[in-house]
This record gives sequence, structure tokens and C-alpha cells, in this order.
Amino acid sequence: MLLHGLLAAALVFATLISINRLPLKSEPLPIDAVVIDSQVLHAAQRVLADRAEQEAARARAADEAKLAAAAEAEKAAARDADAQKVAAANHTEELERAAEAKRAEDLKRAEAAKRAELTKQAEEAKRAAEVKAKAEREAELRRQLAEEEHLSAVEASPARAQYIARLSSRIQNAWIKPPSARAGLDCIVNITQVAGGEVTSAQVSQCNGDSAARQSIENAVYKASPLPAPPDPALFQRNLVIHFHPEE
Amino acid sequence: MIKPLLCLALFGMSAAAHGAFVVEVTRGQTEAIPIAVVPFSSTEAAAASFDVAQLVSDDLARSGRFNTMDRKDMIDQPHSGASIAFDDWRRLNTDYIVVGSLQAAGADHFSITYELYNVLTKQRLLGYEINSNRPGLRSASHQVADMVFEKILGIRGAFSTRIAYISVQGHLPAKNFQLIVADADGENPRVVMQSNEPLMSPSWSPDGLSLAYVSFEDRVPSVYVQTLKTGERRRVSAHAGVNQAPAWSPDGKKLALTLSTRDGNLDIYVMDLATQALTRITDDPGIDTEPQWSKDGQSLYFTSDRAGGPQIYKVGINPGDKPRRLTFQGSYNARPRVSPDESQLAFVTQEDGLYHIATMDLRGRGDVQVLTKGHFDVSPSYAPNGAVIIYASRDRGRGVLAMVSADGRVQQRVVSSEGELQEPTWAPF
Repeated sequence: MLLHGLLAAALVFATLISINRLPLKSEPLPIDAVVIDSQVLHAAQRVLADRAEQEAARARAADEAKLAAAAEAEKAAARDADAQKVAAANHTEELERAAEAKRAEDLKRAEAAKRAELTKQAEEAKRAAEVKAKAEREAELRRQLAEEEHLSAVEASPARAQYIARLSSRIQNAWIKPPSARAGLDCIVNITQVAGGEVTSAQVSQCNGDSAARQSIENAVYKASPLPAPPDPALFQRNLVIHFHPEE
Repeated sequence: MIKPLLCLALFGMSAAAHGAFVVEVTRGQTEAIPIAVVPFSSTEAAAASFDVAQLVSDDLARSGRFNTMDRKDMIDQPHSGASIAFDDWRRLNTDYIVVGSLQAAGADHFSITYELYNVLTKQRLLGYEINSNRPGLRSASHQVADMVFEKILGIRGAFSTRIAYISVQGHLPAKNFQLIVADADGENPRVVMQSNEPLMSPSWSPDGLSLAYVSFEDRVPSVYVQTLKTGERRRVSAHAGVNQAPAWSPDGKKLALTLSTRDGNLDIYVMDLATQALTRITDDPGIDTEPQWSKDGQSLYFTSDRAGGPQIYKVGINPGDKPRRLTFQGSYNARPRVSPDESQLAFVTQEDGLYHIATMDLRGRGDVQVLTKGHFDVSPSYAPNGAVIIYASRDRGRGVLAMVSADGRVQQRVVSSEGELQEPTWAPF
């Protein structure tokens, strides 16, 4: 803004200088001979009068020229001022556009920076998660391995057989055989138990018996619920297969 | 050969899918199945007419297959499936529940509605309505028991069937012999024949419409066939000497019976009922009697003392067939009766001078099981579903009828009256 004002002031000053110079050009006063006679005097007087007249005309012309110049100057100044104004206005718009562009540019830069920062953070988080997941996988594998080792140990031990015997005995005691449940009957029941041994579902999957035999088998499983707990918790099976095949 | 292999393969797959954790169940219980028959709701008029639930409960209990809950143990009396609190009934250790209602729909028109539920799975297994007049309520209730029995056990109930037996009233010389047909629970006894001379050995025709029996009305034993509906009687065998132990063939066209030769030797014959032509089946100096048809009608089981004491034999009815001895345990085994599926033979066996009902396995190794412990348990007869055996017994010096489940688990006295009850015979379905 300051710069803008200075520029405007400079233009006005330059105009003033050109106006002051104009009178200096229109003032050449002539120096004449001094022979005086009446005629001469008269003539001289006329000449003088003419001179005066010319002088006056010149002066008037000069004055007029001065006025015209002043008017012109004024006009020019006005034009200049207008031009100045337009220029100034143009300049303001330009400045505003520039400022706007700058702001947009600034915003873009800020956003880009922000994005970069976020990406960086995400990458870091990802890396951290990967590291953590890997550690967990490894821990899980170690745990599974340990569990499997434990399980194979208990499965090899009498505990597994003991668990199966407990389940078998419990279900056999609960199974009331209908007349059709004789030797030759062969049925598979898939059951699901929850922790605590409660049977939540029993599906007779394949069975060569009649509906009474199937029903007795389903009932036996539900009546045996809650099923006995394994001697070792590692042996717990959520899903069990019960194979009904009476010997007589 | 293919089928067992396929079974094995399927089983293998199933086991593998579940981590091969397989529990083998090779034994089960033969105990009675717990069931609750809740008193039926009813209008006042209907309630006065009949207690459906009590009859159903009694039938099921008598079969030996069910352990029925006492009414006083019932915590609730629902009358339809919607109001059964299954978890409560499960806590009472009942596996099945029967609920229903008896409504009077007119002066002599009743409607029985009933439902059977599996308490453990909460499944509705039966739901029916039976319409009946007043006298029909008893048989309608037996039908309910039949349906429940069959649904749970997979074998037909025999509660709607009948029995025939001989009742001896009074004392010599004024004895009166009656042939009686009654409901399987001993109710509704009807005298179909009476005589001052002995009546013996009633045998049902396979269609259940006629009875053959021995009557001494002619002073000598003769075999008669009587049609129940009409009361029409026909003497079919009156040979000189003994005419006894008639047994109807499965096709209803022949009678097996015991006849005597002039020298008094008893043998088994088969008589064509249409022509009364005789075919001799056994020819032995010993006593051969009490014939009983095999299921296919091609053989006869009978009692013979040809080896000393009475034992049970089997012989084909074709010429040249040789009898084969079946019983070897004990010195006295007689009166063979074949179970309807011919898997079992019931007979009378003597131990220490006492007579018991025993069974022999006909399919496997011929295992013998003594079912009863009375002093004089004789004349066994299978229910048509093979689940129960009715027999004659003595209670405080009097002849009564009793039942034992074919596996010997449940024993019950069925009928006792003023008379001596003898020779019960269960009718076919």
C-alpha cells in the first residue's frame, strides 16, 4: 500500500514540473535602435504601440497558452489520475489474486505436509503392528507347540483313555435301549458340549436303526448331560463323536 | 459285503472330521422308560365318565416298558403342549409326557385330545383327537396307550387286543367251566361258552374271529371251533381216545392237534379244516403233544417225553422230517409258545418241584432265562407284539392270570376273580 502511494505521488510531481517550464519558452524580449523623429517618433510610437500590442497579444496568447496548458495539464493529470486509478485497481486485483494464489499454495503445501505426516504415522503404526503380530504369532506357535506337546503327552498317558471311558460309561448308563436296539445297530451321533459338559446339540448323523432307536440315542446323550470333565483340561473336546453299536 | 464296508468308510470319514475322538457305546440299559401321563382336563360331565390318563398310565406301566410318574409327584398339570414347562419335567427325570383333554360334545359323544412330547428334545411326537361314545371311552384310551407305546418303542402296542381264558367256578360235583374273552387288561370279561364238563386249551384263529378249544361236553374230549360274533360252534375232531391241544396254522386253514392211537400213544397230527383230512406228523412211542406252529407254517414246536422227561422239540411238517430237540437245561420243559417274530420261545420249566415261565433265545446260542418265581406258573402266551407274556399262576391257593415282560423285568397280576383262572391265550392284533 505504501509503495502504491509513493508511485501515485511521483506521478503527480512529474506533472507539476512540466507545467512550470512552459512560460520560460514564451518570453524573448527584442532590443531595438534609438533614432527618434516625429515620424520616426510616431512611427516609433506605432511600432512601440504595435510592439506593445504584439506584446500584449503575445502575453494574451501566452496567458491563453498557459491556461490551455494548465487545462491540458489538468486534463492530463485527470487522465493520469484515472489511469493511475485503473492501474491501481488492476494492481489491487492482481495483488489480491496473487495473495489468493499464495494462500491456496500455502494451503496445498500444508495439506501435503499433513498427508505426508499421516502417511508416515500410518507406516510407522503398520510396522509396529507387523512386529507385534509377528511376535504374537510366534508366541501363539510356541503356545500351540507347548499345548500339542502337553496334549500328546496326556494323550499318550492313560488320561485320554480314562476320559473316553468316563464318557462311555456315563452315556451307557443313560441309554435305555428300545427293542430294536440290538446287535447290528450302528449309529453315529455328533454332539457339542460346552465347558462344564452341558450338551448343547446332538445330531444322529448316520444310523441304521428305526426312529425309536434314533430317539433313544439322542435322549441318552441329553440324559448324560452334563458330561464328565476330562482328567486333564487339555483333553476337553467341544465336539464329540459317539458311536452306538450294542453288542447284544 | 459291500454294505458293511461302506458303513465303515462313512464312519471313518465322520470320525476323522472330528479329530478321531470317538466314544464307543456298546451297552445300554433295559430299564423302564420314565413317562408322565398328566390327568386330562375335562368338563364335569366328561370327568365323571372316565379317567383317560389313568388307564393310559396303567397300560404303559403294565407293559413293563414304562415307569409311570405318580400323580402326587406331578408339580404341574398342563393340558396342552404350550403349557408344558419342559425344564421342570426334566428335573423330575421324566423323558416323555402325555397331556390332553376329555370333552363331552353331546349326551353320548366324547372327544379325547392328546399329545405326546419328548421332554429332553421338547419335540412333539404325537397329537391326535379321538371321538367316542361313552362305552367306547375305554377302548379309545387303550388306543392312546397303543400310539404312545409304538411311537417311543418302535413296536406296536397291544393294549387294544383281547385275551381268552378258562374260568372254573364252584366245586365238584357242581363245577362250572367258562370260556371267557376279555380286554387285554382283564376288563370287560364276556362268557362265550360254558359247560358243566371241562373246557380246555383255547386257541385263537389268526384272524381273531374264532376260537378252537377242547370240550368234554360229550363225556370224551372233542375239538370245537366257535365263531365269536355269531356264537356258531362246529365240532371238528372227535376221534376215539384223546383229541386235544388244537393250534391254528398261520394261514388259518389247518389245525395241529394231539390224537391218540388205540393203544393210547399220543402223537401230533395236522388237520385240514375244510376237509378234516389228517396228516400224521410224529410217530413215537413217547407222548408228543402241545403243538405250536412256526411263523412260516412249515414246522411245529411240541413237547415230547421220548427222552425221558418232557422236553421241547421242533419238526418240519413235510413227510420224512425228523424232530430236533431244543431244550436240554433241566428235566422238565413243556408247553412251548413261539414269540410273534420267532426270536424267542416261552415255555414252562420245572426247578426244585416249582413251575416257572422261561424263555429261550431262538436266534443266538439258545440262552435260557427263567422269568418268573411263582410256585405254579404255567400256560404262557405271547402278546401279539411279543413284549409281554401272559400266564396262569396261583395266588393264595387260587388260580389267577399274570403277566411278565418278555425280558422278565416286570411282573404283574392282571386278573383274579372268584373262579380258578386257567390257560390264558392272547388274541392276535
